[in-house]
Parts: sequence; structure tokens; C-alpha cells
Amino acid sequence: MQVTALRFKRKAKQNLRNARLQSALSKIQVRFVQARADAIADLDDFEAVRQRATAIREGVLANLDAWLERFEQEATRRGAVVHWAETAADVNRIVIEIAQANQVKKAIKSKSMVSEECALNDALEAAGVQVVETDLGEYILQLAHEAPSHIVAPVLHKTKDEVSDLFAKKHDLPRKTGIAELCREARDILRPHFVSADMGISGGNFLIAETGSVLLVTNEGNGRMTTTLPRVHVAITGIEKVVPTLEDATTLVRILPRSATGQDITNYVSVLTGVKRADESDGPEQFHIILLDNGRSAMLGTELQSMLRCIRCGACMNHCPVYQSVGGHAYGWVYPGPMGSILTPLYAGLANTLPLPNASTLCGACAEVCPVSIPLPDLLRELRHRQSTQDLRPWRERLGLRVWMWLALRPLWFARATALASRVGHRLGGAKHRLRWLPGAGGWTHGRDLPAPAGKTFRALYRARKPR
Amino acid sequence: MSARDAILARIRSASRGPSANVEEVIRAHQCGPQPLAYGDLVQRFVERAQRLASTVEQVRSRHDVPRAVAHYLEHQNLNRAALCWPEFLDLDWFGARISVAAQRPEPEDEIGITGAFCAIAETGTLMLLSGHDTPAATSLLPETHIAVVARERIVATMEDAWALLRQAHGALPRAVNFISGPSRTADIEQTVTLGAHGPARVLIVLI
Amino acid sequence: MRVGLFLTCLVDLMRPSIGFATLKLLETAACEVIVPEAQTCCGQPSYNAGDYAAARELAIKLALEFADCDYVVVPSGSCASMIRVHYPSLFTDDSEPARRVRALAARTYELTDFLVNVLKLQTVPGHYQGRLSYHDSCSGLRELGVKQQPRALLAMLPDVELKEMNQCETCCGFGGTFAVKFGDISTQMADNKCRNIHASGANAVVAGDLGCLLNIEGRLRRIGDAATRVLHIAEVLAGEQGEVPCK
Repeated sequence: MQVTALRFKRKAKQNLRNARLQSALSKIQVRFVQARADAIADLDDFEAVRQRATAIREGVLANLDAWLERFEQEATRRGAVVHWAETAADVNRIVIEIAQANQVKKAIKSKSMVSEECALNDALEAAGVQVVETDLGEYILQLAHEAPSHIVAPVLHKTKDEVSDLFAKKHDLPRKTGIAELCREARDILRPHFVSADMGISGGNFLIAETGSVLLVTNEGNGRMTTTLPRVHVAITGIEKVVPTLEDATTLVRILPRSATGQDITNYVSVLTGVKRADESDGPEQFHIILLDNGRSAMLGTELQSMLRCIRCGACMNHCPVYQSVGGHAYGWVYPGPMGSILTPLYAGLANTLPLPNASTLCGACAEVCPVSIPLPDLLRELRHRQSTQDLRPWRERLGLRVWMWLALRPLWFARATALASRVGHRLGGAKHRLRWLPGAGGWTHGRDLPAPAGKTFRALYRARKPR
Repeated sequence: MSARDAILARIRSASRGPSANVEEVIRAHQCGPQPLAYGDLVQRFVERAQRLASTVEQVRSRHDVPRAVAHYLEHQNLNRAALCWPEFLDLDWFGARISVAAQRPEPEDEIGITGAFCAIAETGTLMLLSGHDTPAATSLLPETHIAVVARERIVATMEDAWALLRQAHGALPRAVNFISGPSRTADIEQTVTLGAHGPARVLIVLI
Repeated sequence: MRVGLFLTCLVDLMRPSIGFATLKLLETAACEVIVPEAQTCCGQPSYNAGDYAAARELAIKLALEFADCDYVVVPSGSCASMIRVHYPSLFTDDSEPARRVRALAARTYELTDFLVNVLKLQTVPGHYQGRLSYHDSCSGLRELGVKQQPRALLAMLPDVELKEMNQCETCCGFGGTFAVKFGDISTQMADNKCRNIHASGANAVVAGDLGCLLNIEGRLRRIGDAATRVLHIAEVLAGEQGEVPCK
């Protein structure tokens, strides 16, 4: 998927004015924020579960090589084939090779953000394999040729009416208006594909080293279809997703859906181990697991390592006031919101994503809800630091900060400059004591007045007052 | 160098922590914080299952299952032809005017009757294991899924379920499916709709 | 006890009355208040822009200026947090300046936190009559745990009616330079805040950070609300609302 993060500001501006999008985004508060709060309250001790979840993820990262090898060994022993991919392009190449070796004409997919990261669908189509997304949200996006705007609810940006129009046009059926009818229509259209597909492609929420299993959490049942019906199953996931045991996976499952959608548990939690047994009537004959690096190993041992704990629940974006304002597409790649503003620069390059780490007030709402305690604001700031040390910050900002620093280190000049600013600002403020426009601060004064300074600084007034 | 070796080499050069004894960590099977004990597992299970939009019927014995199923099908106005795991073929389905067959599920099948390895009180969840006599598709393809579970197979948490599984089978089957109510989607306007790709109705018959 | 008052550059420049109100609160509580004249900025703008070296220089400067104070009090959650939480992370060595900075961090407090948890105030000198809504500024709330302290202090004013707004913990959109760099988004966030303030039924909004106050007031005035008062907690507690002495 092409990275368009450099256009963040322009896209954000458009999205702020898009009434339909704003109406869609306004639902986050109740459907995600409130739902999560209720589900967390339902746990006896959320903080304890969160601490354990954090320890599990951090423990794995400290010995990631050993856990991956253990996973590979066990998965292979159970009949799966484990592939390693350095880059997104390698993932695509491996999947195409598997498809060609098995004369695959049609592949069905359940939702996988890693496959979005790889733009796998385009690669497969180019290789002559038909790809059908089966998660309702992803299916809608495939029909509309759009990218997901949320990692858990990929069509968060679309209203029901837009889906109605889209289905009527693409399915060539009478226009449905109810959400249930639309879901039903998608079910009916997709059902034949499940049966006729030769390959199922899924992501993987966790890899379990103990048993060599892939764990999937889904709600629609398409994930189960994708991994049960076609003769070849390919699971694609990041190398960081491994956890030691079934018990560890259970702790994470206890916290993942609660953080994501406010569910105690997703409708389906599937733990998939090896291929169809000789006496079984269903299940894939081949099970391929592709482990993608794509910049992940480079985060290990750095200030950004904690980002690898991420279990992709989306709570950080749901609670981010910036995401709530501009929606996911503004971020210009697969992963939006705070986690995306950290991952996208790391996967797609710092210079290609300059606005992202800065598009945050560092308010900390994300870190407060993160189920694996990732200090997201600190990581955003660390990326700003990297921009700064690599001279990637805009010259106006650098100049401004340099002048400010020069003054701040010279109290006498600082006092003179602030006294002048206070006096001038006060005059400009006039009788109403506020400025409607200030040169160089149009970003502020475009939507807000600036309350005028008092005319004299504290410093000056304090000195005048002090009898000593 | 292969991709595998390159990735692992990078990880090794970056890792700072002391190396863990992987086998020891696995053998410990350390559990995270679990919910406080439930007074009555059955009551908790039923309450949670119903909250997830499953229907729960309680019967006295195995032999009462067909009647309970018939009652449900009648009430829901559903056809009376069902797929069934072999373990329940001996029941008197004929007497309840239900025709059952234990064949490979097809997409057109409307009703699937399965057992469950166990059930989990914490979340109102069923745990099903795939196998020769327990095909996974029976709980997936039909629009109505009926699961028959004995009350004494209700455990408190998923951790307990894993322990039970290790005790009973040692290794994992190809697929362990935890099922918590009918399939659902909230992709359109975050409005929950039951019956996405999997079953739209789940009946749990507790013996 | 010797208490150093770190005003913050924003209070010094934009709204000295907050500084005087803070002074009054501390002096009424019998603190010996020191206001070092050479103080400037805590370095937060540089720090949040990723320029850690600049922030480090200012940290060392500040540590020297407040070296002889038992406590340092800051009428701002974000500047207090800069000193208390973030300064130590800028120094990993054990040099003399690093030790000084760490010592400074350990005795630095946000104003309301200091009044409640160190001075354990039972009364405050101010008086205020009206319906207030309190906006929890992000850094104070999440990095310093400032939540109950301002509410406990407001409860000491008998004629204050606290009307909590919805989403009082949601960011107002200030975020330092964010408010200028991403003005459109910042404005929308401020707009949401204004809506919640209006819905609360309060006729004044109070917070512990001048940055948030400027942002909220700026948006309120722009959308035509000239009536809702926008006050710093120190001004309310000291009974010096917006009046600048010695003018």
C-alpha cells in the first residue's frame, strides 16, 4: 500500500469538513470508548491483567529468537510449513509461489492488516489469482477500492447509505436499506466463494510457541471458513506475535477484545495447529505460516522496542482525540492513530511520514488505555527526536526554537523580549483584550482568538511591587 | 544467508536481556490473573451465554435432548432436518420428528448438532475440538448451531479448559474453536448484527 | 519552608495574574516564597519537538536557579511534569548536573498537588460565587495524578457549585506547538471542549494550565461566547480573578 502520510494535513482538513465522516466518527465515543470502559469494569482487576499481559509480551521480546525457533520447530512438527519474509515483497512472492504450486485460482481472505501492509491483494491479482475479502468490512473496501481507516473496524468511515449504494451498484440487486439486510446480502454473495476457493489467507493474532499454533480472534465466522474449507491455508503475521503458552495467549485474549470492541470475548477464538488429520473430513491439507519482519527486528533493543508489544486492539486510536477528529485515512497508510504514527515511520521511513509523530498533543489518552502499557507519547516524542537529529524538522520550526532557546538561556534578553511582546500584544488586543489575527500564528488565529497579554510581564510587575 | 537466518541474526544482535529457558517457561504454564471464583458455574455460564444471544435449554438427561431440540425448532419455525455428530445418533430423534444425518457438512445444511469438549463459565463459551467424529464445519456452516453439553463439563475459565484438554488428549487437535454465541458483525456503523458468515442462532442444551 | 515559584513562561508573558494568585496562595499558607528572577522556560517546547539537547541545557539552568529551595511549585501541570517526570529521563549519567536535576525533579510539585498533599490546606483565601466546570489538563492528570486535588480545593469555597462536564479528561487540543501546526484539528478539539462546557451548565471553566485556558478561551470568544469566564485554578482559589495588581 502506498504511503501518503506526507499529505496528512491536507487530508485532515478535508476530513474535518466531511460531514458524513464526522457523523461516522462521532459513534466512536459510545461504540468503542464506552463499550471498552464497561468491559474493563467487568474484569475483577484490569490493572493486574494488564501488567501480566505486558510482562508476557516483554518477556517474549527479550528472547524473541528463542521463542520464534521454538514456535517454528513445533509448528513444523505438526505439519505446518513456516516461511520467513524480510519484506512485504517477500511475503507476496511466497504467497504467489504457494498459489502457483497448488494451481490456486481463487483465494478467500479473512481480515489481515499485515496483508494490507504488503498490498498482497494487488500482487495476487497481478499473478492471476482472484482474491475475495470475506470480512464484511474488508469486502466493502474491496468493492469500493478503498483502504481501511481503522484496524478493527475497517469501514468505520462509511455510512450505511454509502454501503447501500455500493452494494446496489456492484451486486446488481435491488437497493437494501437496513443494516441486517445488507449483512445478509453480503453473506449470500460470499457463501459460494468459501466453498469454491482453493486457498484461504488469514492473519494471526498470536503464535503459540508451546504448540506451534496460530490463534485467531474473529466475530463473523469468515475466519473459521477461511481456515477450514479451502485445501491450502496461509497465515501471515509479524514475527513479534509469538507468545510462550496457551495460558499466556489466554491472558491476552482476556484483554484484547475488551480493549478493542468492549466484548468479553470474540465470537470465535480459534487455535489452529497443523494440517487436516488423515481421518478428518475438514481442514486444510497444507498450512503455511509466513513470519514477516519488515522493520520489526530493527526496533528491538531500541527506545521503540515496547511498540512490538502491540496486540492491534485499536484502543489507542479509539481514544485519540486527533483520530476521532480526522479519521484513519488521513494517516496515509495501513495503521492509523497513535500506534500508526509510530509504526508507519518505522516501516515506511521517517522522511516519508514527517507529520505523523507530530500530529498528537501527547495528551496520553492512548497510553492510559493500552492493554500492554506501551508508552505511546514517549515513543512519538522519540520519533520527533529522530527527526530532529536527522535534520528533518521544518526550517521555520527549527529557527523558531533556536531563537526561543537563545532567549531562554539569556534571562536579560528574555525579559526584554517578553516585555516587548506583552506590550505590543496588549495594544493589538484592543478593548476586547484579544487578537483575531497574528502574523506567523495563522494556525491558531484561523479558528480561535488569542487572548491578549496583560501589557506587562509578571517579572516587571513583581519587581515594581517588591519593596525590597 | 536465508531470510530466516538474517532475521534471527538481527534479533540476536539486538536482544539485551538474559536468555530465558524456553522449555522451563512452557512447562510452568503460568496463568495470569483470573476472575475470582464463581459461586455457581452453571448459573454463570447460562447468564453469560444468554448475554451473548445464545439460547439455553436445560434438560434432565441425554434422552430429553431430542424433545428440547424439537421444541426449539418448532418455536423458531425451522426445518427438522439436521446434521449431527455421531455421538448423538443413538438418541430418539425419530420420536421427536427430526431427521438427523452424520455426513460431511455442506453449505446448504440448515441445522448442525454438535457436542462440546467443555464449556467456560467466565464468558459463556463452548469449546469444540475438531476430529474425525467432530468435524468443525458442523458448528460453522449451518445457520442454526445446536450444542449439547453436560453440566459437569462447565469449567470456570479458559485456563481450566486448557488443563482439561492436556489431561484428556495431551496434544492439540487441528482446530480448537471457542464459540461464544451466534456469529456477528458490527462493521456497518458499528451496529451489531447477528448471523454474519457463521450461524445466526445458537442453542445450547445443558444436560 | 522555602518555596521556589516557577511561574512558567506563559504565565509570565500572557497572564501575570495567575502568578500573583499563586504567590498569594503560598504566602497565605506561610511559605517563604522565592521567585528567581533569571527563570525563563522549562524547555518543554524544545523537548516535545525532539530537541533533547536544548531541553537539557534549560534543565540544568533551572536546577541551579532553584537549588536553595525546599520545594518548587509550578502553576501548570505540563511544566511541572516536564520538570518532575521528563527532566530525569534526559539525564542517564551520574554527573553533578544530572544529580542536581534529579534532586530538583523530586521536590517539584504542581500547585494544587502541593497545596493539598504537601501543605495539606484546609482553607483557601479566595471567594467565588458561581457554577464552575473543571477541565483536567492532560499532563497534570496523566503524568502527575492531579485529579482530586483541584476539586478538593474548590470544595473549600462554599459558594462554588462544581458542574462536571462530559469528557472533562479529554484533551482540549492545545498541545503546545500542535495548536499552531495543526490548527484545524486543534480548533475542532477545542470546539468539542466548548460544547461540553456549555452543556455542563457552568458559567466559568477552570483549569490548571494556562495553555489550555488560552485555547479554550480563544475558541469560546471566536464562536461568540463572551460570557463564559475562563479561569486558572489559582485565580479562583486566591480570589484574584483576572485582576492585575500594580497596573
